[in-house]
Parts: sequence; C-alpha cells; structure tokens
Amino acid sequence: MRRHAVLWSMILLAAVMLVPFVIVALNAVKTPAEYSTGGPLDLPSGISLEGIIAFWERVDFGEKLWNSVVISGSVAVLAVVVSVFNAYALGIGRVRGRLWILVVFLIANTLPQEALVYPLYFLANEVGLYDTKLAVIIIFTVIQAAFGTYLLTSTLGGFPRELLEAARIDGANKWQTLVRIVVPISRPTLGVLFVFFFIWTWNEFFLPLVLLISNENQTVPVALGVLQGQRMMDATMTSASALLGVIPAIVFFLIFQRALTRGITAGAVK
Amino acid sequence: MSKRLLVAAVAALMAVAGCGGSEGASDPNTLKLWHYEGPDSAMGVAWAEAIKQFEATHPGVKVQFEEKGFEQIQKTASMVLNSKDAPDILEYNKGNATAGLLSKQGLLTDMSEEVAKRGWDRKLGPGIDTTAKYDERGVMGSGKWYGIPNYAEYVMVYYNKTMFDQQGLTAPKTFDELTAAMDKFAKAGVTPLALGGAEYPAAQLFYQLALTKADRAWVDKFQRYTGDVNFHDNTWVFGAETFAKWLREGYISKDSAGVKAEDMGLAFMQGKHPIMISGSWWYGRVQAQVKDFEWASVPWPGMTSGSSGNLWVVPKGSKNKQLAYDFIEITMSPAIQDKLRDAGGIAVAPSGTPVTDPKTKQLNDDFKAISDADKLAFYPDWPAPGFYDAQVSSVQKLITGQRGPHEVLTELADYYKENTASVGK
Repeated sequence: MRRHAVLWSMILLAAVMLVPFVIVALNAVKTPAEYSTGGPLDLPSGISLEGIIAFWERVDFGEKLWNSVVISGSVAVLAVVVSVFNAYALGIGRVRGRLWILVVFLIANTLPQEALVYPLYFLANEVGLYDTKLAVIIIFTVIQAAFGTYLLTSTLGGFPRELLEAARIDGANKWQTLVRIVVPISRPTLGVLFVFFFIWTWNEFFLPLVLLISNENQTVPVALGVLQGQRMMDATMTSASALLGVIPAIVFFLIFQRALTRGITAGAVK
Repeated sequence: MSKRLLVAAVAALMAVAGCGGSEGASDPNTLKLWHYEGPDSAMGVAWAEAIKQFEATHPGVKVQFEEKGFEQIQKTASMVLNSKDAPDILEYNKGNATAGLLSKQGLLTDMSEEVAKRGWDRKLGPGIDTTAKYDERGVMGSGKWYGIPNYAEYVMVYYNKTMFDQQGLTAPKTFDELTAAMDKFAKAGVTPLALGGAEYPAAQLFYQLALTKADRAWVDKFQRYTGDVNFHDNTWVFGAETFAKWLREGYISKDSAGVKAEDMGLAFMQGKHPIMISGSWWYGRVQAQVKDFEWASVPWPGMTSGSSGNLWVVPKGSKNKQLAYDFIEITMSPAIQDKLRDAGGIAVAPSGTPVTDPKTKQLNDDFKAISDADKLAFYPDWPAPGFYDAQVSSVQKLITGQRGPHEVLTELADYYKENTASVGK
C-alpha cells in the first residue's frame, strides 16, 4: 500500500515535469494561424514541421550545434582534467592552506556572471580573443573547474591512504600514482563531473551571448534568442527552436546516464 | 609535467576547433551588416531587396549580412562597437537610452554631412527625425544626426468590426464614440478592451489616455526635458482618472493585470474582446492571422505613442563608411520604401505610387495624417532609465486596486524626478 502511494506520487511528479515539454512539442508542430485562433493549449489539427525547418535554415542550426558540441565538449574535458590536478594537490597532496584555497574557489563560484562580464570582455578584447570560441572555452573551463575542484577535493580527501602507500612502496612516483591509481578509482565521479560540465556549459546563455557575437561562432542557446523580437514573438517558431535546442542535451544525458548512476552509487573503494 | 600536458591539450583542442582570431577583419570589398528583423517582416523583406540592389550597383562588393537577436544587440552593442569586430552598419534601437547613449559615448559616426548632402533630412518629416538626432548629452531631438530610420510605428485602436456590427456600432473615431462603444459592450456582458498589464500595453494605454489632452509642448517637456514636468497637471490627471474609470465601468478586466502582451494580442485575435489599443507592430500579424471576423483600425483621438522605427547607425569603427552611406541611400530610395510599405510596414519616404492593399493603404495614410499633424509622442518609458519597469508595476497596481490614480502619478513623478536628474537640464 505504502509502496503504491510512493509509486503514484512519483508518476504524478514525472507527469508534472513533462508538461512543459509536451506544451513545447505541441506548439512546435502547429501553424502560426492555428496558434493565434486556438491558443497554446489546443491540439494541432495536423503535424506541421514548417516551424522547425524554417528555424533550422534561418539560423543554420547545424553550425550552431557543432559550435555547442565543440565548446561544451572541450570545456567538459579540460575542466575535468584541471579539476583532477587541483584536487590531487589539495585533497591528496594536502597543500598548506588548502581550506582557504577551497573557500576562494567557492566564492568564485558564487559570483554572478553579470559581475564578471565586463572584465572578461575587456580581457578577451585586449588579448584578441573576443568573438572566438577559445575565449568561451577558457572561461568556462575555469568556472566549471572551480566547482569541480571543490567537489573532487572532498572526494579525494577520503581516498584510502593504504592504497597510496601501497603504490609508493611499489615504487610509483606522484605522477604514476595519479594516473594509475587515483584516476581509475575515481573514474565514476569524473564521469559525473564530465556529464554535468557538458550540460551546464551547453545551457549557458549570457556569457556566450556577450562574447560570441559573430553568427558563425554562436552556440545553440544564443541562436534561440534570435527569435525574440523587440515586441513580437513567434510562438510556434520559438517552440520549434526550444525543442531543437533541448534535444541534444537530452540525448547526451541519455547516453551518459549510466555514468551518472554509477557515479552516485560508487561511494566506497573496494 | 601536468602543465605541459594541459598546454598540449589546449593546443590540440584549438586545432580541432579551428579557433584562432577572427579572420578578414577589414576588407574594402565587404559590407558587414547586422539587423534583427525577421525575414518575413516588412523590414526584413525590404532590406533583403536593398542588399540585392546594393550588390547590383556595387560590383565586386559583397554584403556580409548577419541576422541578430534583439536582446543580443541590446546587451552587447557598446562592447561590440568598442572592438575590432564591429560591423560596418547596423540596425539599432532609437531613443535616449540606446542610440543616444552610444552617441554620447562616441561609438557612433556623426552623419550630419551625409544627411545634408544626400537630402535625407528632407525625406524624413518632423517627429520622425526627432529620434535620429542627438545632442552632446545624448538627448534626442536636436544636435547631430547619428541614425537614419526607414520606417515608423504608432499606437492605434484595433476593433472587431463583426462584433461592432452586431451591436449596431460604427467605427470609434472620437473619444466619445470609443467610450460609448465600450459602454455598450460592457452592458452586454463583454469586456471590451483587450489589455496586457504585465508588460508594455497597459503602461502605454495610461500614457495614451493622458495624450488625448496633450500638445507638443507637453510632450517635449516630458520626453526632451525642455521644462518642468508636473505629474498632477490636468493632462496626467485626466489620463489617470480615465484609466481608473474604465476599470470601474468594467471596460478593462481586473484580471488583465497579469496578462502578457502576447496574450493580449491572442485574446483580440480570437475574438474574446472587440477592442485592442496597441501599436502598428501588430498590424501585419492581425492581418495575416485573423480569419474568423472582420477587423479594422482607427487612429487614436489625440496625440499618440509612436515614433520612427529603429535606426541605421554607422559605428565609429566602421571600416567602410562610404559603402554604409550608399546602403542607407538605397534603403531610402522610393523602390525600397515602396517595397517596405507593400509588405505591410509604414514607409517614411514612399513614392506617390498607389497601394493595392486597402488595409496597408489605410495604415500608411493614417500615419501620414498623424505625422503631418505632428502628433507623434514617443513612448512613455523613454525619458528615464528603468522607467519601463516602474511604470508597468505602478499601472499594474492601479489595475488590481492597490493604488489609486493619484498615488500612481505620485509614484511616477518621484521616479521621473530621481532618474532624470543626471540627464542635462
């Protein structure tokens, strides 16, 4: 009985979570005239892919997808690498003042991007990286790695000392310990970080909006902004674009969701 | 060790991503052009044609056009124009807080000489040219030319002719006729006015009601700081009290406080309310999407919110200014202006050729009458930065009954005084 109650409330919760997706999908396949006469909740009379196709061509969506993949992928890889190095030093190497270093990282994490944007713009412009993907990759690597360092340090802080000692007795130097012992054992956690970094970076809007001004460099969320006019919005095309925008993130999530569950369950080391 | 690996990784990624500096920054044979109008809008259609004509008349020169989002231009313009990646010409929002601010920061090119040489000033009527000129404080209406508008916009009364006919009503041409019509609908149990209180429409209506009693001097004081503004003068009080009366009489629904502009438009287009008082930016959409009833529009009785459309501006760092001026010249030519008009826009300098579509003709004729009578009063949120949010929230409270009409005026007066102190005077 109790089990059923839990199950049903879970199903209800899932349904509530899915409602926005359903509405977006519903409006994405409507014609603008249908939307104007029936409103957002009416069922479409047929499936019209016009909005989706028109949006794809208007913003050259394939190019935007590629840009987003390059940026999010690079950031995810680089941020994980940087986080591992930092956390190895802080969590296992026990650098002096590591608590304060972590606090600084954490504070950096809580800074709103609006406060960072002008300095970042200025720096990027000075070194000639304004309007390049590299600028965004570097910035988000730093931002994501700050969080990653914080998280990984606490994980590695509890890393079994016996394993490290065994490795040292076997003659492993610090580099070998990291690559052969620490990284393989923390792989599930690193997988989770990788997935999160990818999705977080994918969904970033504000900094890419400011730093990637050429259309050829833009990411998916920025491209979606093209449809928001000064006073007008095209509801059906906006829905179509929103649908196109979330599909890649969902697909990525589904592919890597095993890494996520493994990372959450893998707490201890055998 | 780790450092070397990182450098190698970054280098490898850079190679993969192919992201060095942006290439081809200055090329005398490329006109880099940005705007943010949709491809199906009147401006989008007309400007696509203008680009074609430009390339035909400038052999060897390519237009590198990029469609931008309104928000992106709005948020990043000052940064973009300060960098070497600035376009040669772009569409930019008109008004003190936007084009005026950029001109004050020295990011835009003073076009006065070109304007005189090419006669653009003669093509743009008074009221339209107000938003093209800015003084050294960045205040519109006088000083140097920093932009050229191609089109115009104004607020009018849209009405559902089918519903009006059912009630035996005619076009609401005067303020009394409008009130009488709304009264008849309200008595018949229909809320006559579609309104969005959560965004610009309600704040515009509030201003619009005051404008029925306003003249040019009153507007100039409020918009261009030419004198002291008294928010409790007869004009403002009439506007605020009429708004409150319309609420009391049920012309406006109390529920409209939370309605967005988009939903206001939808409610009108679905025939839920017979009247909508809003801008010409709805015109093309209403025309294309309303099929179930007859509709028409009449100009607002009195001065009306409205102005030139957005401007073509030439950044200070533009590398091809002559080409940019040539492009503006083409957009002001009768052929492109007619194209803009025939696509459903309001042309600022059309040729004399007749319009085929009767609705488009009326839209443009009404505008000409407004412009000739010098009745354009700009928008209520222009005078002070952040005024938009303050107005929306005040008028919203008026709709829900949390504030009386005079309290709203006091709120607006306080905000205005506080936030215009730094602007000239």
